[in-house]
Amino acid sequence: MALQNRSDVSEAHIEDFAQESLLRIMDRLDRFEGRSKFTTWAQSIALNTAFAELRRKRWQDVSLDALVEQGDRMADASVLPDDILGAGEERTRLVAALRRSIAEDLTPKQRAAILGELQEMPFDQIVSLLGTSRSAGYKMLHDARRALKQRLLEAGITGTDIQNAFNL
Amino acid sequence: MKPEEKKLTEAQVATIVKILGLTTDTEFNCGECLQHVSEFAECQLVNKPVGEVIAKVEQHLAMCPECREEYEALMKILKAGQ
Repeated sequence: MALQNRSDVSEAHIEDFAQESLLRIMDRLDRFEGRSKFTTWAQSIALNTAFAELRRKRWQDVSLDALVEQGDRMADASVLPDDILGAGEERTRLVAALRRSIAEDLTPKQRAAILGELQEMPFDQIVSLLGTSRSAGYKMLHDARRALKQRLLEAGITGTDIQNAFNL
Repeated sequence: MKPEEKKLTEAQVATIVKILGLTTDTEFNCGECLQHVSEFAECQLVNKPVGEVIAKVEQHLAMCPECREEYEALMKILKAGQ
């Protein structure tokens, strides 16, 4: 039902997803803790299986080199101009601090991972391209976000400032 | 397929900023979110308050478009079944 009316999903896809989902649910049965109804838990696994496969197909032709190359340009003023979030001293200061941190605090792989995330590339695809495990990939992204946030804090920009400035 | 856009969009930069605002030292990754999302969804369905652990699902969903897409699909199914 969740996949109905999607142009990228055929009947054959749905049959494949159903079979794959069943196998995954069976494989993860020992992780069901009874904190929700079994059907809700099983549906969450089935949806994860189906959406992950759809995303993988959508992004399968992206190369690591292209992503790293584009990530390396993230800190260029032409890619991330001061006024991209609009005018205003606070906003331009925030973007400048962000640009500096992207250039100085992140590794090429972290820049590529952040960029992939921004382009809504599936996390599985990002870690596959980077040749790392899911847990290592998640830690790499988390470390990158913490480094960027720390640099903003050092520039005097707090989480509250960010939330207020962007109505988060 | 090569990524097309060279210049970041305003929406992408706003997303970075938003995600940084939500970043904490301890948070769920996608696997942990999946492990708990069914409990979170059922609580949301009946407006039941969630505990500290399950609240991390909400924080992860705010940052992760993939998990949010799956959660929204799950909620659609659960609401249809009510």
